[in-house]
Amino acid sequence: MAYTIVAALVLAVMFLSFERGKATSKEVALVAVMSAAAAMGRVVFAALPNVQATTFIAMVSGYVMGPESGFMVGAAAALVSNFFMGQGPWTPWQMLAWGLAGASAGLIKRIFPGIGRLGMTFYCLLWGYFFGWIMNLWYWSSFVRPLNINAFIAACISSIWFDSFHAAGNAILYYYFGEGFIKVLKRFYRRMKVTVRYE
Amino acid sequence: MEELFYHEKGLFLQKLHPAASLAYICTLLVLTLIFTNPFYLAGLFFCTGLSVWMLEGLETWELFLKGGLFMTVPIMIINPLVSKAGATILWRGPSLPVFGEITVSMEAVFYGAVMSLRLLDVISIFCLYNIMVHPDKAMNMLERFAFKSALVLSLATRMFPAMIRHLENIKEIQLVRGVDFSGGTFKQKINKYTNLIYILLLSSLEDSMEIAEAMHARAFGSGRRTRYVRDSIKPADSVCLAAAAAALLTGAWGTVKGYGVMNFYPRLGPAYSRGDMRMLALLLSMLSIPSLLSWGWRYCRYFR
Repeated sequence: MAYTIVAALVLAVMFLSFERGKATSKEVALVAVMSAAAAMGRVVFAALPNVQATTFIAMVSGYVMGPESGFMVGAAAALVSNFFMGQGPWTPWQMLAWGLAGASAGLIKRIFPGIGRLGMTFYCLLWGYFFGWIMNLWYWSSFVRPLNINAFIAACISSIWFDSFHAAGNAILYYYFGEGFIKVLKRFYRRMKVTVRYE
Repeated sequence: MEELFYHEKGLFLQKLHPAASLAYICTLLVLTLIFTNPFYLAGLFFCTGLSVWMLEGLETWELFLKGGLFMTVPIMIINPLVSKAGATILWRGPSLPVFGEITVSMEAVFYGAVMSLRLLDVISIFCLYNIMVHPDKAMNMLERFAFKSALVLSLATRMFPAMIRHLENIKEIQLVRGVDFSGGTFKQKINKYTNLIYILLLSSLEDSMEIAEAMHARAFGSGRRTRYVRDSIKPADSVCLAAAAAALLTGAWGTVKGYGVMNFYPRLGPAYSRGDMRMLALLLSMLSIPSLLSWGWRYCRYFR
């Protein structure tokens, strides 16, 4: 239960930080559109085993719009898609995992501005596994005792095939399409910042 | 996929104030996570099932439980394999790197079974949430504390079905142009599907600018919001809220006093005692109040 409370607190802090930020109507609309597109990512690739375009879109959004918006895109995508697919105990953890994927992409751009295509591809690959490990956390913390590293490793081993497909999907999506998506999103993000004043 | 998971049926439990519905659901969830006694977990399962039945959601519940049963398998496997705290050893296996010698104890098997029951409880409670609370009602609650986040969620929820329809149109156009979505290698498939998202993204981003202008025209960001949709609290809501609060407090007090908690290691502790059963009966009677009201609302006109 302690882990669930921590997850809920992280979500609350990140939502509050978006709330306190000076998001304009354009930014709110853009985040909403990207969230819906990320949610769609779960539907579009449903035919391919565990290829989740949601992670890729949340990360691209975070990379262009910054950590707070990236988090919102990922977290909102999880919540919104589950309004249609069914909410479950996994929803808060999906919100956290996809939110952190988006936020971390924004942070990595700030820390390593010249990370490049290969660097980001590798980072997206890693997030396929991080996502799985975060999702394993609720499973491990709520239903397995004793809470030791061996039990967590066992939980991760049981999900390694799903996580590997997710990681490979992320890497392929970013390597082939990441730059194109970023270019388009940057263009709209710049348009969003333009204000015309008539005197 | 174009429709919300929630379906409005005009039932009593769906008409409750969202605060009352959420308080009831949260109470069930917290009690499920604090109790380890299988009788208590079975009791909570029964209460949740009663509410699901009152919401005419048995078919949906069946779907959730089928998925849940699949998820219980790793719990049943991992617990016995990693726990070495049980005293009654049923099987000694080989020694594995990281895990050491594998031993399966009766206590760990029992713990895995009880935790599987807890998982089914949690899944049932979320099933109840899905069929009981309209997303808009939950969003209305959120927007008082987090207006921008609630707005993002509302907009995205409205856009999602529209995007699915738009995606179908784009897919049809691609099919007419000769794109075969089922054929080709893995990379070619990804390429085709990503093109779909790419086109969808471009048109949606254009739409976002129009949404922003509409929001701006309606004075978004000019100051504090002045209009909210308020749901009134009716007597039935107060009764359900009071029942949920009483059950939560009783459950918390019971846990402090040692009720509802079972020891699994090193040897199984007792699961049954008179005090435990009395406490369970008290809790179940409190948690059944919303379902009883729902039954009364349907069959007895004095409840309406």
